[in-house]
Amino acid sequence: MATLDLQSITKSFGAAQVLTGIDLAIRDKEFVVFVGPSGCGKSTLLRIIAGLEAATSGQILIDGTDVSAAAPVDRGISMVFQSYALYPHLSVFENIAFPLRVARLPEAEVKQKVGRAAEILQLTEKLSLKPGQLSGGQRQRVAIGRSIVRNPKVFLFDEPLSNLDAALRGEMRVELSALQRDLDATMVYVTHDQVEAMTMAHRIVVLNKGRIEQFGTPMELYHHPATKFVATFIGQPNMNLLPATVTGTGAEGVTVEFHGGARMTLPVEAATARKGDSVDVGVRPENLKLGQGIAMRLRVLERLGGTAIAYGQMADELKLCAALSGDTTVHEGEEIGLTFSPADAHVFDTQGRVMRRRQAPALAA
Amino acid sequence: MQIDKLSFLQKIGVYIATFFFLLFILMPFIEMIRVSLRPMSHLMTAEFSWWSEDFSLQAYRDMWNTVPLLGRYIFNSIFVASAVTVITMIVVIPAAYAYARLDFPFKSLSLGGFLAVNMFTGAVLLIPLYRVLRSLGMLNTYWAMIIPGVAFLIPTGIWLLRSYLEKIPRELEEAAFVDGASRLYTLRRVVIPLAVPGLIVVGTAVYIGAYAQQFLFAITFNNVREIQPLPAGLFEFVGYQDTTWNELMAAALTGITPVMIVFLFLQKFLVAGLTAGAVKE
Repeated sequence: MATLDLQSITKSFGAAQVLTGIDLAIRDKEFVVFVGPSGCGKSTLLRIIAGLEAATSGQILIDGTDVSAAAPVDRGISMVFQSYALYPHLSVFENIAFPLRVARLPEAEVKQKVGRAAEILQLTEKLSLKPGQLSGGQRQRVAIGRSIVRNPKVFLFDEPLSNLDAALRGEMRVELSALQRDLDATMVYVTHDQVEAMTMAHRIVVLNKGRIEQFGTPMELYHHPATKFVATFIGQPNMNLLPATVTGTGAEGVTVEFHGGARMTLPVEAATARKGDSVDVGVRPENLKLGQGIAMRLRVLERLGGTAIAYGQMADELKLCAALSGDTTVHEGEEIGLTFSPADAHVFDTQGRVMRRRQAPALAA
Repeated sequence: MQIDKLSFLQKIGVYIATFFFLLFILMPFIEMIRVSLRPMSHLMTAEFSWWSEDFSLQAYRDMWNTVPLLGRYIFNSIFVASAVTVITMIVVIPAAYAYARLDFPFKSLSLGGFLAVNMFTGAVLLIPLYRVLRSLGMLNTYWAMIIPGVAFLIPTGIWLLRSYLEKIPRELEEAAFVDGASRLYTLRRVVIPLAVPGLIVVGTAVYIGAYAQQFLFAITFNNVREIQPLPAGLFEFVGYQDTTWNELMAAALTGITPVMIVFLFLQKFLVAGLTAGAVKE
């Protein structure tokens, strides 16, 4: 299969700068997910890789060959669209066979290749139907079938699951991961859903306002978010941010004072911290526990069974969210106390950059 | 759905309004049929009545003798209108696709130009057209009726079809492009099959336009009886002494019958085409 390298890609539509200085090296057989809020440029970046859109500057290399000026089919990519883009007037067979028909392959070869794709995707029974007669998940599989018959070097997916209902989406996530392993293919996948990104990706690219915020494995992004943006974007529910002031730095980390006067020494790299700086201390809801510490008025408690998500406000109107154990006995309207271990805290400086944590869990390889 | 429910009185109102509307539109046709069914001598004398004892199909038999070339005229009409439609569609499909999907200089200006051209009626341009056709040696040929017909119908065709093609999801064409299909291949394999209802609507509009406008071109650019279309041929029922009105009406009705039958079958496509994309499916 193939490697995919992006070198200082920029894109602007008129005066609007959509992508700035995108550098990315995607390894062979890697499943990379582009994730970010809407308007961050992730779909544009995918369309540039596909060749549907020309970059304003920069190079795209597939297997080390510059393909920036090549037509999509000559790049060796295939793409699955958000709306599936199936041809409603053609049968499932002809939909999957479309790229082969364009390439004018002999009938026997078309039959054999479509047959194999249909087998992988369990569509053999459906080949004579029209797309309109299929369910959402089956249509999705036809669209994937059309992209795999051509044996491309790189597969591109543009939010392929966003039209499916939640249950089917979960199912297709697993199928896509399995497919990636079976095909041994390089895949680039765009989504705005961080759960899809976390569950499927080998590595995730977090995009924000046309820039790469961070590129790393899901657990790297979770335990070592490089910026405040990544920290709040990855993880469900979102990370809490507590404003604080630096009161001192030392060998054991940074000492901060929260609004309300509580002090805490957090084990992070203190090189960029200065006394008096305003910082944000990030704590994930799952790291908050009941106990003496932050006082919160519990407004809503969502019981999910295994966990219970507690939403509330601190004295200074700051919203807070904690993931408590499922059988917790607290009640809505009650005043509860929350604590967290200093090792679980993330500290972000005034520019939103992280001070690297020292005692984070070891990352799985 | 509840919103469709009309009270009894409202329903009656709707039916009364529909009745008057249809009466207004259909009255000339009803009169045509009545005239065609009655003998000449009774036409000017009798009082108006919906049904009378003297109805007969005699005029439908006699007309072929009064105007021996009548069959030829009907064929010419259909032939000219069909030729205009086919040629117009061959030109309009790629043009409308280009206007729907491609970007090129003076796109909206030229599109507006087409509309402006459409505002000149054929009558204003008859003399220039006559000179052009004469220097091309096309007077008194089928081309004299076909070429101006095509020219006047292309703008309408482009405007109608362009808006239909714009509704075809762009992603379908992008998918074909990613799979290596050229523009023309995409047009042939993806766009045209999906646009069939729209093509039928546009084809029908062009056919009706071609049928209606051929009279003007026929009487100005053509002197040859054998290639005269029906509207011009009907003049042969107008004699020096008298006009055989009943046979004229019978001939007119006979001439449009084949076309009417085809359109009856196309009607379901027409309705589907006119409302396509109006609601989310």
